[in-house]
Amino acid sequence: MEKEGLGLEITELRLGLPGRDVAEKMIKKRAFTEMNMTSSGSNSDQCESGVVSSGGDVEKVNDSPAAKSQVVGWPPVCSYRRKNSCKEAATTKVGLGYVKVSMDGVPYLRKMDLGSSQDYDDLAFALDKLFGFRGIGVALKDGDNCEYVTIYEDKDGDWMLAGDVPWGMFIESCKRLRIMRRSDASGFGLQPRGVDE
Amino acid sequence: MNYFPDEVIEHVFDFVTSHKDRNAISLVCKSWYKIERFSRQKVFIGNCYAINPERLLRRFPCLKSLTLKGKPHFADFNLVPHEWGGFVLPWIEALARSRVGLEELRLKRMVVTDESLELLSRSFVNFKSLVLVSCEGFTTDGLASIAANCRHLRDLDLQENEIDDHRGQWLSCFPDTCTTLVTLNFACLEGETNLVALERLVARSPNLKSLKLNRAVPLDALARLMACAPQIVDLGVGSYENDPDSESYMKLKAAIKKCTSLRSLSGFLEAAPHCLSAFHPICHNLTSLNLSYAAEIHGSHLIKLIQHCKKLQRLWILDSIGDKGLEVVASTCKELQELRVFPSDLLGGGNTAVTEEGLVAISAGCPKLHSILYFCQQMTNAALVTVAKNCPNFIRFRLCILEPNKPDHVTSQPLDEGFGAIVKACKSLRRLSHSGLLTDQVFLYIGMYANQLEMLSIAFAGDTDKGMLYVLNGCKKMKKLEIRDSPFGDTALLADVSKYETMRSLWMSSCEVTLSGCKRLAQKAPWLNVEIINENDNNRMEENGHEGRQKVDKMYLYRTVVGTRMDAPPFVWIL
Repeated sequence: MEKEGLGLEITELRLGLPGRDVAEKMIKKRAFTEMNMTSSGSNSDQCESGVVSSGGDVEKVNDSPAAKSQVVGWPPVCSYRRKNSCKEAATTKVGLGYVKVSMDGVPYLRKMDLGSSQDYDDLAFALDKLFGFRGIGVALKDGDNCEYVTIYEDKDGDWMLAGDVPWGMFIESCKRLRIMRRSDASGFGLQPRGVDE
Repeated sequence: MNYFPDEVIEHVFDFVTSHKDRNAISLVCKSWYKIERFSRQKVFIGNCYAINPERLLRRFPCLKSLTLKGKPHFADFNLVPHEWGGFVLPWIEALARSRVGLEELRLKRMVVTDESLELLSRSFVNFKSLVLVSCEGFTTDGLASIAANCRHLRDLDLQENEIDDHRGQWLSCFPDTCTTLVTLNFACLEGETNLVALERLVARSPNLKSLKLNRAVPLDALARLMACAPQIVDLGVGSYENDPDSESYMKLKAAIKKCTSLRSLSGFLEAAPHCLSAFHPICHNLTSLNLSYAAEIHGSHLIKLIQHCKKLQRLWILDSIGDKGLEVVASTCKELQELRVFPSDLLGGGNTAVTEEGLVAISAGCPKLHSILYFCQQMTNAALVTVAKNCPNFIRFRLCILEPNKPDHVTSQPLDEGFGAIVKACKSLRRLSHSGLLTDQVFLYIGMYANQLEMLSIAFAGDTDKGMLYVLNGCKKMKKLEIRDSPFGDTALLADVSKYETMRSLWMSSCEVTLSGCKRLAQKAPWLNVEIINENDNNRMEENGHEGRQKVDKMYLYRTVVGTRMDAPPFVWIL
């Protein structure tokens, strides 16, 4: 049997002595050529960073977080699950900008990028656009006269009335938004105004 | 040989239902082969390219139920290009031409088109059951044909498919006369759902036992649905998102209380966790709970729910449950048989959500555990040894340490000994996936002890060809071997060509196998299809002067009785 093709010299997988720094390990990577994003795995690139491309040789990549995230198809989670969990991750991460917005009476959630608004006025306008309904903007600016109230869930899981805290503080702590009917708001358990974080 | 008339033997065969057993019966003698094939109604085909529909129908003319699997397992992880194959249309066309009385069709990882669904719906008068798992290529228009044309439809079960949702009215395509539904699962549909049509459908389906809704079905609709289907056994909740007004919530609670047959709960795709308590009254009946898509249910809400589920046999959960949460599971769910813990953070955040401690706790608390899929950040040999001692009954053991090549985090040793303990203790082990730092030694153990092993998934493991050889030589029952990013090459591949006749398939990607090695294998084994998948370098292999030594990126080989397939795309070479 021929020995060529074994290429033992490139299969270095060094075993460290106990206590040795794990960073010494190398992930053995084959020549990952760039995936053709349109024909295959096109959903994966929403969640994973790009694939390392190279020539024909085996690449040794140091065991770093960046390298890890570039391994195609790893961890072995099926693409359907990946897509669905990415949706959650992208939209519920605090500070990432995107939050879910729900409105009473509308069966669909919307998602919006808080980071694209500069202040509460911008937000009011964006919400109006999102739901095609004038009233929300008014609710935000002139709370008491409107059928709806705009509330948000903060980092601690508490629901607060939007508009009370400075904008910067708001976008940092807002996890999601809800446009609620005023009639439902009274029994809801909103945190009282002016409560400190 | 035969002391009884054929009818009697056939009657006896009716009691033999498993595919394995029926296959065994057919090998006993010619007469039994003949009786068996005319009485066989259910056929399972693990690889749609191993045989063709014409031969299938020649042998089993009385076919009523067909299960077909297409793409190899690693297609789930985007390692197989979409156009690779696995098309169901030729099968449906052949079945339609033969006028066989098809009633059930189950497909996994196949390409299904609207055209094939339409043909299916029109060709088989008694068609009852369609189950599609991880399939793609169709839209809700295809579903509309099934709804409209299958008069006796019992099951429409869509699991984790990629379906182009045209937001049409497929649900309203069920005629008013359709009252036979038992299973309706459309959880994977992304678009809006016609709630009125859905409610009417559920209301006129007294036999409905399994209902799995998609995201677009909000909580108030759920309440109404449950009120018209109190007989429900298996429920997939869609959107649990909006905090309901008190009236909707009250209605939901009332409806849930009436669902005394409810045994299985899933979904919660978008969840307001504090509404979970509405389900507490029926939790003590639950045998199956799937919260693996409910990213927002964690912490105390999750624990409280689980504490009510004392009869749970199957639990699918996210790792946000944490080791502490798993300890609660261990102390509550004494009937647990299957556990899957999925990673909630796929972007490599490095949160140590579950560790070896959770796994050990489960193994200690749940004596009936036989199947596990566990994604974690770290593992130790000691933990695996303990798990093996606590649970020697594993049939399926899949452990995925998120970081490739990670050693025992306490001793920095490879995890060979830990997995060795598992295969040694679990004499009924049929499926194994391992991970972490592993040398050839683990394969020595697998070859030596894993006598019942049928499926093995290897990634980033081993040192030399010896590793793969231990497995090929030792595991007599091996059916599916899939390997990625491991240093196994031509020597191992070619050592025992006849082994592949006893296996369904072998996948090797990013290994050391060369083109000439594959060619030699194909020459020696004409009954194998040896496929090279080469999506991006169509010409590279030919131009390169050292063509033979060129390493093959992806190789997939499988036994077949029908030779080379004709539907392979240009980037797949069949040697």
